Amino acid sequence: MEQIRLPGGESIYSGYLDNGLAVLVLPKKQFLRTYAMLSVNYGSLDYKFQLPGEEAVEVPPGIAHFLEHKLFEEEEGSVFDRFASWGGSVNAYTSYSQTSYLFTTIEHWQESLVYLLEFVNRLHLTEENVEKEKGIIEQELRMYADHPDHRIHSTLLENLYHEHPVRLDIGGTVESVRRITLAELERCYYTFYQPGNMALVVVGDVDPRATFELVRRSYPDRAWSGQKVERLDPEEPSGIVKPWAEEQLAISRPRYMLGFKHDPIWQGEELLRVQIAMALGLRLIAGRSSAAFAQLYEAQLVDDSFSASFRGHPRFAHTVFSSETDNPEALHERLAEIIKQLQAGGVEQAEIERLKKSFYGMFLGALDSFEYTANRITAQYFEGTPYHRYLEVLQQLSHQDVQAALADLLDWERSSVSILRPVNHHG
Amino acid sequence: MKFTQHQLGPGVRLHLCATDKFKTLTCKAFIQQDLQPWEAASTALVPLLLRRGSQKLPTTLDIARELEELYAADFGSDVLKIGERQILEFHFQMVDPAHLPQSGKLLRRGLEAFWEIASSPYGDGSFHEPYFEQEKHILAQELEGLVNDKRTYALVRCTALMCAQEPFGIYKYGDVETVRSLANSDVYGHYQKLLGSYPLDIFVVGSQAEQAAEVLSGLISGRAGGIELRGPQQVAVDEPRFFEDNLDVQQAVLVMGYRTGITYPDADYYALLVGNGILGGFAHSKLFVNVRERAHLAYYVSSAIEGSKGLLTISAGISGEKQEQAVQIIQEQVREVQEGQISPQELEQTKLGLIRSMNSMNDNPSGLIDRNIIGIVHDQLRSIEDVVAAIAAVSRDDVVRAMQKVQLDTTYILRSSPQKGVGHGTN
Repeated sequence: MEQIRLPGGESIYSGYLDNGLAVLVLPKKQFLRTYAMLSVNYGSLDYKFQLPGEEAVEVPPGIAHFLEHKLFEEEEGSVFDRFASWGGSVNAYTSYSQTSYLFTTIEHWQESLVYLLEFVNRLHLTEENVEKEKGIIEQELRMYADHPDHRIHSTLLENLYHEHPVRLDIGGTVESVRRITLAELERCYYTFYQPGNMALVVVGDVDPRATFELVRRSYPDRAWSGQKVERLDPEEPSGIVKPWAEEQLAISRPRYMLGFKHDPIWQGEELLRVQIAMALGLRLIAGRSSAAFAQLYEAQLVDDSFSASFRGHPRFAHTVFSSETDNPEALHERLAEIIKQLQAGGVEQAEIERLKKSFYGMFLGALDSFEYTANRITAQYFEGTPYHRYLEVLQQLSHQDVQAALADLLDWERSSVSILRPVNHHG
Repeated sequence: MKFTQHQLGPGVRLHLCATDKFKTLTCKAFIQQDLQPWEAASTALVPLLLRRGSQKLPTTLDIARELEELYAADFGSDVLKIGERQILEFHFQMVDPAHLPQSGKLLRRGLEAFWEIASSPYGDGSFHEPYFEQEKHILAQELEGLVNDKRTYALVRCTALMCAQEPFGIYKYGDVETVRSLANSDVYGHYQKLLGSYPLDIFVVGSQAEQAAEVLSGLISGRAGGIELRGPQQVAVDEPRFFEDNLDVQQAVLVMGYRTGITYPDADYYALLVGNGILGGFAHSKLFVNVRERAHLAYYVSSAIEGSKGLLTISAGISGEKQEQAVQIIQEQVREVQEGQISPQELEQTKLGLIRSMNSMNDNPSGLIDRNIIGIVHDQLRSIEDVVAAIAAVSRDDVVRAMQKVQLDTTYILRSSPQKGVGHGTN
C-alpha cells in the first residue's frame, strides 16, 4: 500500500485489489469506532450509458437510488439485523455521482466489513419486492417535495440546465420511479457495481495492511466484467433555460436562490484548485467575516440562513447563493452590486490570508469526523482530485487567483434566480 | 474518557477531560433555569444577540475575523429544553493549540475570545438597542418559520397541545407574542442574573484541559450563585386526545405522544430506553420493520423518549388517507412490547445498539460533553461505563414492566385538508 502523509501526523494508506477495487485506510489511534464505506462511482446522473460493443441504454431516472434501497433486501434475514447483531448500524445514500454503503461499529468490525462487501455485491430482486419499494420511495420523494430548500434548489437547477441530468432530482420523480422495472434495475446493477468502479474507505484504529489483506481475502470472487462503461451526458447548451422563476409552498417567508452555471472544464488538481479558490471567494460574500454579509444583514435583506457554495465536478459545475428574505428583488439587486464590485478588483490580500488560516484549521479539525472524512476521500478519489494535496494547493492560492475565479465564473449571462413564496395557509 | 470535577465558585462546576485523542479543544458552558414563558423567550434572544458583537469585538464581522485568525475557531450559543428546564449553552471549539504555531498564546487568546463573546455583549448597561430590535424581529420570524420543516413543526405542535397546561408545552425559544413584547433592559437584567446566579457547568475536552481550566477560572468571577430550581411536573393521562392541523402538504406527518411516568432518576429508566429501542429507535425496530418494510406506509417512522419529563413520541411521514391504518399498526407494536412479545434477538440487538452509541460518545468531544446535560439537570452525573452496565443488565421482564407504564395521551396529524386532498398522480 502507498502511504500518503497528512498534516497533523496522520496518513492515508491506499492500494488496489487485482479486481480493481480501490482500498483507502485512515488509521485513527485511540478511537473506538470503526467506520467503513463501500462506494460505487454511480449516481443519479448515470441513466444514459453504453458498454463497449453494445447499444446505448437509457433507463428511467431514479434507478441508482432505487438500487440503493434494494440492496438491503436479502433472500434470508435482514441486512439491518446482521449489523445490529454485532452492535453496529448500517446506512446508505445516493448522490448525483456516487452511491455509498456504510456502517459504524465498535465490536466485530472485521465481520461487519466482510458482510458489507458481501451484501453490496449481491442482488436479490423479485417482482414483488420491487413493487413494494415504490411505495416507500414515493413517500421519500413526497417528504422532500415539502422541504423548501430541496424544492427551491430543484427549481433552480431545472432553470440552469437544459439537458444535463443534474437538473433532475436524485431520487427521480414519482412517475419515473413507478416506471422502473426489475430488468432495468438488474442491468444497471451489473453494469456499474464492478470493483473497478468502486472504492472502499475504512477509518478507525485499524492496521492498514491487515485491513487490506482482509479485504483481498474476503472480496467476493466473481467473473467481473471489467468493462469500462461510458456515461453519455447530453450536450448542454451554454445558456440557461430561464433567468427568473417563482413558485409557492406552505412556508412562512420567501426564499431566494441565485445560481450560476459553469463549464465543467477542470480535472485533477486543477479542479481542486478551483474548488478552493471559489470556496475562499464565496466567503467574501456570504462569510460572517465579510463586509458584504454585514451590509446585507444590516439592511435586513438576509438572515443567518444566507449561504453560498460552489459545486465543481468533472461533469457539471455551478455556484449557488441562498437565503430567506422578505424582499427577494432588493436582495438580488444588492447582491449583484456586491459581486460585481468584487469581480472588478475588490479582493484584498489580507482577507484571503486570514481565510487561508481558517481553512487550514477546518481541514485539521475535520479529520476527527469519520463520516465527513470518508465521504471526502471517496468523492475526491472518484473525481480524481488529490485530497492529500489540499493544504499545499490552499497555500499556493493568491488573492489574484480568487479574484480571477470570481470574475471568470460568476457570469451573469448564465445565471438564474428562483424564488419560493408562501401560500396563504390556515394552521 | 472521564471528567474530573472542580468547584470553581458559587454555583459553578468545572468538568475536565484531558486527552490528546482529538485535534480540537472543546469547551461548553450550560446555565440552567426553570422553563417559563417569559424567561424562555428572553433567554432565546441571548444567543442571537451574543453573535452580533461584544465589548471588544463590537460587530459580527469583528467576531468572525477574530475566530478566523484563531484558525477557524468556532463560537456558538443556543438554547436547549431538557424536561422543564431551559438551558442556555455557549460552546467554543478550536484546533488543539498543540497543532498550531504559538500554541500557548493561542490557547489564551481563544479562551479570552470565548468568554468575552459569551459574557460581555456589546452595549452600555443593556444590549445595543439596534441589535436588540433587529434580533427580536429575527427570533419572531424564526418562530413563525417553524412551519417550514413539517416534521419538526408536527412534533412541536403535538407537544404544545399535549402539555398545554404544563411548562413542558412551552417551546424552547418561547412564543412569538412574548418575543414581540420583550424590553431590552428586562432581557439584559435577566441575562445578567443567569450569568451571575443560576447553576453554571463548564466542560473542557482537549490535550491542554488543565491550562484551559486555569485561564477560564481567571475569567469567570464575581458570581453569587444560590438559585434553587424545580423538578418537572408529572401528569396522569386522562382520555387520549386527537388533534389535526391542515396545511397544503404532499405528505402527512403523524405524531403520537405517550406519557411514560419514568424519568432519568428512576430505576426503570434504562429498561424504558431499551423498550423504546425495541419499539422504534433503530432500523431493526418493530416500527421500522412493520410500518415501513411490511406495510410500506412510510419512509421514516421512529420513536424517541424525553427522559427528563417522561414522554415517548412516535413520528411518521405517511400518506394522509392512511392515517387509521398507520395508527393501528403503531399501536399494535406498542402493545407487543408491553406484552413482552420481544424476541431474544430484538432485545440483544437493541442493547448492543444502545451500548455502541453510548461508547461512541468517547470518539466525539461534543457528544462526550452533551451526554451529561440530563445528568446536570437531575444532579446525578453518570459515567459511560455505569450507563453501559445499566443497559447490559436490562432483562425482558424489566422492559415489559417499564413499557407497561407507557400510556397514549395525544395523537396529532398534520395533513392537507380533506376537501382539498393532494394529488396522487404524477408530480
